[in-house]
Amino acid sequence: MNTMQSLPLLQNALTVGAILFSLGLVGILTRRNLIVMFLAAEMMLQGISVSLVAWSRYHGDWGGHVLVIFVLTVAACEAAVALVFVLQAFSRTGRLDAAAWQSLREANVGRTIDHELPAIDTVPLRFPTLAPAGVLPPADENEPLQREHV
Amino acid sequence: MQEFSPSTLLVLVPLLPLVGAILTVLLGRTLGAKAHLPAMAGIAAAAVVAIALLVVTARDVGPAHGAHAEAVRPVEMISTLWNWASFDAAYTPPAGSPATDARLTPHDLGAGKDVRSFSIPVALRLDPLTATMLTIITCVGLLVAIYSVGYMHNDPGYPRFFALVAMFVFSMSMLVAASNFLLVYVFWEAVGACSYLLIGFWFTKPEAARAAKKAFLVNRVGDFGLAIAVFLLWMTYGTLDFHDTISSNGVIMPGILGQTRLADAAGYAGGAVGTAICLLLLLAACGKSAQLPLHVWLPDAMEGPTPASALIHAATMVTAGIYLITRSAPLFSACPGALTMVSIVGATTALIAALIGTVQNDLKRVLAYSTISQLGYMFASLGTGTLLGFTAAIFHLLTHACFKALLFLGAGSVMHAMGGVIDMRRFGGLRRVMPITAATFFVGAAALAGVAPFAGFFSKDEILAALHSKGWPSAHGDHHAAAAADGPFQLIAFSPDAAHATVTAPAVGLDALDRPETWQILFWMSLVTAGLTAFYTFRAVFMTFTGPTRVPEGAHGHGGHGDHGDGGGHDSHGSHGSHGGHESYESPPAMTWPLMILAIPSALVGWLLFSTNWLAHFLSATPSLTAPAVAATATPHVFHMNLAIQGTLAAAIGIVVAAIGHLGRRSDGPQLERFLGPLQTLFANKFYFDQIYSALIVKPLEGLALVAALFDRHVIDGTVDAIAGIPVALGSIVRRSQSGLLQRYALVGVMGVLAIVVLLTWQLRG
Repeated sequence: MNTMQSLPLLQNALTVGAILFSLGLVGILTRRNLIVMFLAAEMMLQGISVSLVAWSRYHGDWGGHVLVIFVLTVAACEAAVALVFVLQAFSRTGRLDAAAWQSLREANVGRTIDHELPAIDTVPLRFPTLAPAGVLPPADENEPLQREHV
Repeated sequence: MQEFSPSTLLVLVPLLPLVGAILTVLLGRTLGAKAHLPAMAGIAAAAVVAIALLVVTARDVGPAHGAHAEAVRPVEMISTLWNWASFDAAYTPPAGSPATDARLTPHDLGAGKDVRSFSIPVALRLDPLTATMLTIITCVGLLVAIYSVGYMHNDPGYPRFFALVAMFVFSMSMLVAASNFLLVYVFWEAVGACSYLLIGFWFTKPEAARAAKKAFLVNRVGDFGLAIAVFLLWMTYGTLDFHDTISSNGVIMPGILGQTRLADAAGYAGGAVGTAICLLLLLAACGKSAQLPLHVWLPDAMEGPTPASALIHAATMVTAGIYLITRSAPLFSACPGALTMVSIVGATTALIAALIGTVQNDLKRVLAYSTISQLGYMFASLGTGTLLGFTAAIFHLLTHACFKALLFLGAGSVMHAMGGVIDMRRFGGLRRVMPITAATFFVGAAALAGVAPFAGFFSKDEILAALHSKGWPSAHGDHHAAAAADGPFQLIAFSPDAAHATVTAPAVGLDALDRPETWQILFWMSLVTAGLTAFYTFRAVFMTFTGPTRVPEGAHGHGGHGDHGDGGGHDSHGSHGSHGGHESYESPPAMTWPLMILAIPSALVGWLLFSTNWLAHFLSATPSLTAPAVAATATPHVFHMNLAIQGTLAAAIGIVVAAIGHLGRRSDGPQLERFLGPLQTLFANKFYFDQIYSALIVKPLEGLALVAALFDRHVIDGTVDAIAGIPVALGSIVRRSQSGLLQRYALVGVMGVLAIVVLLTWQLRG
């Protein structure tokens, strides 16, 4: 393999990886939406994966590729688990804001407030519903179509 | 017939109750109400074997030849099971120590050096003393076990009780069969543990738990004495075996009570060391046999189940001290001062316990003080150091085991019927509703009081004779007159040779106590005690069994059973004074049969053994009692008419006084109190022994414990808390960073990574 030819390729790929990683890092440090934070974390992971593939190709070694495939698999699993956590967190607080969990701080440490969150009651929550398939189930008057409060 | 050899049988005596105890523990819950079977079978089989051994030993001793004392060949058989511990050259005695006295300690010949090997063979011995003790232990144990089937019926701890009784019979058999001071010590502790567990059998009762603890702690004092005595014996004699052993190089190593040493006139240490050993053994015996000043535990031990009181705290375990001193007779014979102390302790205890017994209102406590008093009698007898004294003590031990077990079981029968009430002021006239118990109790009381044809009369007479012969030597034949001419203890082998005299300090001043005057005082004390014994015994009889019939609330007639553990049943259909003999309160057959069986020896055994002089002859073949010092004091067996008259007179006065005070009348306190005045308070408070011990020992120790507790709580805990405060203080600083904001945590993580990257880069450059 021609290393001279692949060196710029490596540099380009590493640049892309570094950009992805930095974007993810900035995202995770600045955003408070749990899903966005999670996506940012994934982005960091992909940035590293890109670097890994680039180095692997540069050295003509398949180990890096294999490792990336492995990382992707694990990341998929981790994504499933993480999204469950996010959903649970949301159903607890009704918010995706990470700051809503600052109540887990030490007992005698003051609350950090940048701006007051809107009260939940003022924003009625509406969840999208899927179009029912098959026979329409008989409507139950007692069952609310949507949850008042999650 | 190898399997029926005496040595095999000897092993079976302790083994069978042990197997019974283990089976009861394992199968107790499965068997339920039949849990007594394994234990009882084990004890019964052991009793049969023990009687067989007694017969075998008696055959070896041979028949008595008339009334004349003759030299008896020692009879002993040793059965070594295995070697428990063996250390070669365990000890090199320092030059000049008593252990270097060639006369006293065996030397490992050929080693070229004076070194001692230490070995503890698990050896059982069979000799007349052991055979007698084994028979008493297993037979009384069997009767008590049978009785307990009725008494402990429906108790939640039924299997536990029988396991403990069987365990006790095992330990006690091993104690009297062991042929080694260390083994004696081991089983000395084992019987103490069984006693502790049985006193505290109803451990949910605070008094029972406290009594058990008290018995255990007071016994520790005595056990401490035994431990020190064992150490001293090892230092002095270089062995702990009773019997002679043959070492690997074929040399006979004389045991402490072996026949080699017994034949040697100077084989036993006198002087300070010997006296110290004897006094420590006496301390041990005082603890176990509840003698002054360690007697305080026995009355409290009555909190245990009555059968256990009968077996352990009347018939067997408390006689361990008598056994120990009898076994160590040659050691004591070399120290006349210590022997005299034994008698002084015994006679004083007998008198004081009898005085306390006269004002007790709890039937079992009267019997407990009576036990202490009778044990004191035996000690007084042992202290004479004569063959008559030793055999009389064992004779009294035997008769006492019969009649005191009978009395205790009778008291238990009363308590059982009265729904757990044992205060004599709350019932009376029971002879009409409990005829069998009353009749057998009367036999036991007559035996205890020393009424003429009953067992106690003869054994007490022998003891008085032993004391009398020391107080008035000339009155007891030429033999003793000659001894008296040269000083009372001329016949006791105590000849300190020059080497020995340099090693030991001058004899303790105790030896000065051994004068006829002392013995005369002791004799009169014993005679007074005999009168007091008759008084309190018959006071108890009259209060319990005569007069108008009264039963306490909560008593249950018709042989029903209630809960005697908590001091009152609930199936109450009895009321005060309204029965008039129409209702039977008699105990079930399982309880009355042992009473009737025990009544027979209580009535007859004294006359049988006295008239034939069989026991004295039999016991005189015990190796310890064939020591020249003891055997030389043998006197012709005669019936001392004047002593018998004095003893009977004392008993008669006691009975008459008791009859005047209590027969047919319910008033107890006032007359006696008026008669005794302030003495009554002294007696009722048990001479303030408990209060004195509390003030002298318990309270200072509690103060010390309080100081230690405060030190622990404030100084030690304070230091620990101060050290624990350091991480808390540090944590309180760092804790502020725990804001609960994810972004801040992530930022700190990134900073950390950056710091590492910077550091690594720095290093890679540099």
